[in-house]
Amino acid sequence: MGGAGNQERSELLKGTLDMLILKTLTVQPLHGYAIAQQIHELSDNVLTVEQGSLYPALQRLQKKGWVTSRWSESPTGRRARYYTITASGRRQLGQEISSFDRVLLAIHRVMEGA
Amino acid sequence: MSFIDALRYRLSVLVHPRSHARELREELEFHLQLAAMQRENASRGAMTGVEAYRAARRRLGNMTNLEEEAREMAGLGFFDVAAQDVRFAMRSFRRSPAFTAVAVLTLAIGIGANTAIFSAVNALLLRPLPYADPDRLMQVSLTLPASGDRPARDDMVWSIPKANVFRDAQKVYGSVSLYTDYQFTVRDGGAERDDGEYADSRYLPTLGIQPILGRNFTADEDEQLGAARVVMLSDAYWTRRFNADPSVLGRTLNLDGDPYTIIGVLPPGFRGLTGRAELWVPLASLPVEASREAWSHSFSMVARLAPGVSPERATEGTAVVGRLVDETYPARTNGTEHWGATARTLDATRVDPIVRRSLLILFGAVGLVLLIACANVANLFLVRAAGRSREIAVRLAVGAGRRRLVRQLLTESVLLSAAGGIVSMFVAWWGVKLLSALDPTTTLGVQRLGGLGAVSFDSIRLDASAFVFTAFLALATGIVFGLVPALQATHPSLTDALRADSTRSRRRGVGGLASRNVLAASEIALALVLLAGSGLMLRSLGKLLGVRPGFDAEHVLTLRLNTGESLGRDSLPGFYDLMLQRLAALPGVTGVALGDCPPLNGGCNGTVLMRRDRPPADPESAPEVGVHWVTPDWFSTLHVPLLSGRLFGTGDRLGSRKVVLVSESAAKRYFPGEDPIGRPVSVGQGGFWDDTAYVAGVVGDVRYGTIDSSAVPDVYLSYYQSPRGRMMVYLRASGDPLSIAPAARRVLRAVAPDAPVYDVRTLSSRVADASAYARFSAMLLAIFAAMALVLAAIGVYGVISFAAGQRTKEIGLRVALGASPASVVRLVVRQGLGIALAGLAVGLAGALAATRLMRSMLYDVTPSDPLTFGGMVAVLVAAVLLASWIPARRAAEVQPMEALREG
Repeated sequence: MGGAGNQERSELLKGTLDMLILKTLTVQPLHGYAIAQQIHELSDNVLTVEQGSLYPALQRLQKKGWVTSRWSESPTGRRARYYTITASGRRQLGQEISSFDRVLLAIHRVMEGA
Repeated sequence: MSFIDALRYRLSVLVHPRSHARELREELEFHLQLAAMQRENASRGAMTGVEAYRAARRRLGNMTNLEEEAREMAGLGFFDVAAQDVRFAMRSFRRSPAFTAVAVLTLAIGIGANTAIFSAVNALLLRPLPYADPDRLMQVSLTLPASGDRPARDDMVWSIPKANVFRDAQKVYGSVSLYTDYQFTVRDGGAERDDGEYADSRYLPTLGIQPILGRNFTADEDEQLGAARVVMLSDAYWTRRFNADPSVLGRTLNLDGDPYTIIGVLPPGFRGLTGRAELWVPLASLPVEASREAWSHSFSMVARLAPGVSPERATEGTAVVGRLVDETYPARTNGTEHWGATARTLDATRVDPIVRRSLLILFGAVGLVLLIACANVANLFLVRAAGRSREIAVRLAVGAGRRRLVRQLLTESVLLSAAGGIVSMFVAWWGVKLLSALDPTTTLGVQRLGGLGAVSFDSIRLDASAFVFTAFLALATGIVFGLVPALQATHPSLTDALRADSTRSRRRGVGGLASRNVLAASEIALALVLLAGSGLMLRSLGKLLGVRPGFDAEHVLTLRLNTGESLGRDSLPGFYDLMLQRLAALPGVTGVALGDCPPLNGGCNGTVLMRRDRPPADPESAPEVGVHWVTPDWFSTLHVPLLSGRLFGTGDRLGSRKVVLVSESAAKRYFPGEDPIGRPVSVGQGGFWDDTAYVAGVVGDVRYGTIDSSAVPDVYLSYYQSPRGRMMVYLRASGDPLSIAPAARRVLRAVAPDAPVYDVRTLSSRVADASAYARFSAMLLAIFAAMALVLAAIGVYGVISFAAGQRTKEIGLRVALGASPASVVRLVVRQGLGIALAGLAVGLAGALAATRLMRSMLYDVTPSDPLTFGGMVAVLVAAVLLASWIPARRAAEVQPMEALREG
């Protein structure tokens, strides 16, 4: 899987994928490929979402009711499944961001102290 | 909202799993194409579209895996995992077909036997009676106190005058109806005897039954005493005799010589409360006297509770009105003996108490067999799990959850038991076929009056509740025998199995062995309970079969004949002479006689006998004597011995001095310490009450009641001095008695063309019927006990051979150090005996408790009969010795070098 320019690619922190997906959906409904692209681009090509994690995660989010989906036409004219964040998904995102911030802060303190 | 979104999503996945999978594939495909496009662009023409797609596809990895993972995420996990478990279980079954076959077969027999007995219990004891609101129906009976040696009764039938008093005065029942059973002679070209019931017009409405064709009796017809000549048919009779022709209404049927108009047909399956009726005629068609004779008790009463009245209140109300009936028709004993009335639910009288009890005992017994079968299969599983311990340990080590593994092992056991349940339906089908063929009146010798017969054995069938029962049983057994091995096999300490350290793995083996020992010991205990029960039944049956009923039944043909009113009293003796002469002349006939009531009939006519040479006693309190009509040769034909005096002679005819013969018991009862010959007596029937008759001889006792009750005092009258039209013909044959039946029928048709001949059977088959019930229970119990014995022996064998296998190394060491093969055998067998002793100790206590329930079913055997218990313990010990000797011998043949090297 390794290739040129991929050295900087980082594994996602466990549990952060859901948060990232929800975050990308806050702007507009997206299909799966676009979600992966967005995360990749917004992270300056550091984060790569494997399809093997992306689609199970999307199923999981739907199961929890944080995301809904419907089929519609993509700009290329093909049918694609677009995901939309729900109100409870936004609430969940808020919680995850704040708890993520706490964790980041904590890690930061540990690294400073060491 | 999130809840609803989530629910909608899950539902759509659940309802349209296929389209969900298809969409998922489409979505992944779309992703791939976009990724390929991007790659192609990025390579700026260095890659073709196809190459780019392939590269993207490689990156995606295994698409099927991905789909599966996504599906599990979507909530289909449970079903998918279950399907996976099932596939896994099937694979492991295929790998060990012998294990699978033994387990399925064991369970099939255990479950099937249970379903069959359950079907009988359901039909005979549980299923609501097939009438409207059956729990509102009551059986109302007269009660009478004990008197002399006659016990008190609370199930006495009614006379019409008493019933009328009761019906008019009572307030607790909405409707009250009388009925009685009767056999009609139907003449229609030939003559045939058919079962029927006399009933009043309230009978069908009380039960909530309506004719499917025509009408019920009317209240008017209830009043036409001695004249209501109408008849209703059962559906089966209508179909058989009239080909279900709807125009049958209005036609006539000749019953007992009178034409009856057919007015209705009753619904299929309804055979009256007697359970056998084909024909129903109004009570009012009985001779007018019947409605006047207050002491002619022969009618059963069934009543429906008035709205709002509880069965308890009705029983109280019944007792109150019963006192009024007693005041209206006081018993003929200077005011000391008071009759009464009582009521019980019809449901409580549906089956003879003996049938009820033995069914429950059989149900318990067959349940024990299933428990043993479960223990056995659990043992098999334990052995198998031990064999798989390494596989299981590896899976635990690589992170499989314990719950997941238990679930998988349980899937295996439930699958096995489900297969057993399916196969068991064949066993159950066969068992039910056997049971439903039983006729309680003949096969089981059940003769009681009352609601008995309301439910017949032919209502035993495999119905929906039997299937539910089987399914439940299969599931429950699967969990029962699967859970213990599953928990044990996945016990965390099993990870020791991974280590090469053999002392540790040995300890694990011992732990597993302990629970297998307990299982095997409980199998022994359960088997002993069953063996003791069936041993007692067999001993009791042996004693029954050894009973000498007082006559010789071999080579005797019996048939019934009823000339009815067609011959007058005075012409009957001539008819007897003619008939007996013609029959005696048949080739192969060595003796011929008439009697009125066959031995072992469940009881015959009873009356009082009074000595004329003593001051008259009160006839009501005089002890009862059985009264029988015979022709002079009856005693020589049945080989009943003459003890003193003489038999009837040709001179004892109408008009000559009246003589009677008494049985040995009657001689002892009425003439203790005296010589009865020549003593004057009066007998309450056959015209022997007002005249004096003299005792001519004493004959041997004959059992007329049941085979297990000793003979009661009997008195014999001669057909020639007291002629009657009802008779049973006894023919002694030199060869097979049935071979003379056609010739005998021809003779009887010639001498009495109008008299129906019926009930043609050998006397030995009647004797066999008398013990049929005991044979039936003993046979079923013996089958169950044999199953239990075999299963328990297999269980012990499995445990011992597994244990011996585990100790191969130790045994090899012993042999290497000089132990003889005999001492190795002893070593292994001793372990089997240890299991047996533990099981026997527990089983003995259980068996002693269980067999007490059988007391009423045993003849001349105590429930704790030491011989039976000792014998059965010996049988079990022998089985255990055999079961442990086989693996012991194998262990003794261990080659020490091989055994040591293997370890």
